[in-house]
Amino acid sequence: MSRGSDSPSIRRRLLALLLIPTAAIAALATYSAYRTTLAPFEAAYDQDLLDAALAVAGNIEVGRGARPAISLTPDAVRVLRSDSQDSIYYQVSAGDGHFIAGDAGLPVPHQRIRNPTFTDSTYLGEPIREASYRVMTRAGSAIVTVAETRHKRSLARRQLLQSSLAVDAAQLVTALIVIWFGVGFAIRPLGRVERQLAMRGPRDLEPVTTEGAPTEIRSLIAALNRLLRALQEAEQAERSFIENAAHQLRTPLAGMLAHLELLAADSGPEQRERVDDILDGGRRLARTTHQLLALARSDSTLRTIATLDPVYLPGIIEAAITSRLAAADRAQVEIGAQIEPAQVRGVRWLLEEALGNLVDNAVAATPPGGSVTLRCGSVDGCAFLEVLDTGIGIPAHERAQVFERFFRASNTRAEGSGLGLAIVREVAAIHAAVITLDAAAEGIGTAVRLTFPRMSSPD
Amino acid sequence: MRVLIVEDETLIADGVRRGLLRAGFVADVVGNAEAARAALQAEGFDLAVIDIGLPREDGLQLVRSLRARRVALPLMMLTARDRVSDRVSALDLGADDYLTKPFHVDELVARCRALIRRAHAAASSVLEFGRLRLDLAGKEAFTDGHPLDLTQREWSILECLVLSAGRLVTKERLMSAVSDWTDELTPNAVEVYVSRVRAKIGEAAQIRTVRGLGYQIREPGK
Repeated sequence: MSRGSDSPSIRRRLLALLLIPTAAIAALATYSAYRTTLAPFEAAYDQDLLDAALAVAGNIEVGRGARPAISLTPDAVRVLRSDSQDSIYYQVSAGDGHFIAGDAGLPVPHQRIRNPTFTDSTYLGEPIREASYRVMTRAGSAIVTVAETRHKRSLARRQLLQSSLAVDAAQLVTALIVIWFGVGFAIRPLGRVERQLAMRGPRDLEPVTTEGAPTEIRSLIAALNRLLRALQEAEQAERSFIENAAHQLRTPLAGMLAHLELLAADSGPEQRERVDDILDGGRRLARTTHQLLALARSDSTLRTIATLDPVYLPGIIEAAITSRLAAADRAQVEIGAQIEPAQVRGVRWLLEEALGNLVDNAVAATPPGGSVTLRCGSVDGCAFLEVLDTGIGIPAHERAQVFERFFRASNTRAEGSGLGLAIVREVAAIHAAVITLDAAAEGIGTAVRLTFPRMSSPD
Repeated sequence: MRVLIVEDETLIADGVRRGLLRAGFVADVVGNAEAARAALQAEGFDLAVIDIGLPREDGLQLVRSLRARRVALPLMMLTARDRVSDRVSALDLGADDYLTKPFHVDELVARCRALIRRAHAAASSVLEFGRLRLDLAGKEAFTDGHPLDLTQREWSILECLVLSAGRLVTKERLMSAVSDWTDELTPNAVEVYVSRVRAKIGEAAQIRTVRGLGYQIREPGK
């Protein structure tokens, strides 16, 4: 499965879908936590301001004309104004707004009714926070306002913001990592299904198991299995078509050949030759038909067989020799075997077909008086099947081509379709066998050998 | 000798019938399993040639039903070459031999003759092959009427070969045919016995060696 950058990725989608809301929620949480934490800070600073205002208010006395007045010593004013970061301002005014003492320009909210009153304002071009307190004296009401610039508040605010942002960023990164690996872990069953499919041979159309598969991909697997079943049915239909075609072609041919044989035996010398020619042609036709059908069936077998059964090779050799003894006699070729016990996993009819084609070729290529030997056995645990002949051989430069369909060696005299070795190659492919083609031991004739893979279990 | 041909393809049926007629058999043709059962019940046949691919009820089912009714006559099956399973099940169900299509008429006739001979031998205990005559009950063999001097093992080998006349008999089968419980024969010993039998029967029949595999007995001059 390729994971190209523009193809949709479940992991990326899940990450996007999960991370964006998570980040938004985290941002909101950060903001509200900041706000909540900020309030007590502000309240504490405000309380300090109010305390200062109350301290100042404690010094209000009755002045001239029965108006409120205040007298602060320079030391007291210095204490009031002393602050490491902020500038402190104050003002004392009468309830009617009449300035009494302090910083005259400080904006004082005379109309506020709540006591104390905290306000945000600006003074000398800087934002300030003010605490105003209205006191009732014997000389009437007075308003004490103490204000400070916002430097330490801003600093605190900044520090607060930074620390809560740091915590939340750490949380967000943790969530990202957890989601990244979590998504990977969650989609891991997909990988298992992928591997299960990837390990299959092209002929394995068995349904994919839903065992252990998560609910979410079961419907996907079910759809896949429906497709596999449809494919299997199509294979089945193809196979039965081929089998039907085989029957339709073979049956009339068999009848024709039977009659031609009888006709050949009954006819006089003049017709005899012509009938024999027709008979030869008919046999070639029957053989080619059979081979084509065998190829077609092995093609579909290649795609459909799921299991190979143990096949005992000496049995195959016995069958091949038994069925071709008469033909070898006619060609005056001696046929024999060298048998050692050997077994492979395979499809019996295909192996018989392949060996039969090799024997037919060997007999056809061997002049009268020659011999053909069928061998089986095993070397280093690998079973082999071999056909040796004492025939004309195959030119070395043509050996690679002989397994192509319809290829015929340039030095052959024998009639043939050139399909036989193509079938052998097909059968070898189904059995994962290696074909080697060589001159036979004494440098004459041909040796064709199928070497099968080592059998995994001895049963 | 009378043969019933069970084959729905008239071209093949007719070819087989003519081939058998030429070889001196009497042959009748039916086209399906039902007719085959009726014919076999009504009249005496020595052998039936049955095509596996019959319409409706196939040849395998016919063989099964015949054997189930204890019909003992030899059955020769005609099959398609690439259906190993058919061949195996045909033999399992009780068919005696099979040939794959397309086949040589001569071979079919020879196989039919061998099957009939074997069946008759079982009934009459006398087996004729080429110029050989085997008395299965008396365990004696004759060439042109003269008794052959065979040891018990040589007799067993000749009997085994003639009972499977025309077909390949593996060395293993001969070994098990002549070995008794007390001693096992080696393949080399089988070769020795076969060459002695060969010498003793002379020209009356021909035992050919299939190198590395076994033997086949043939009528002289074939």
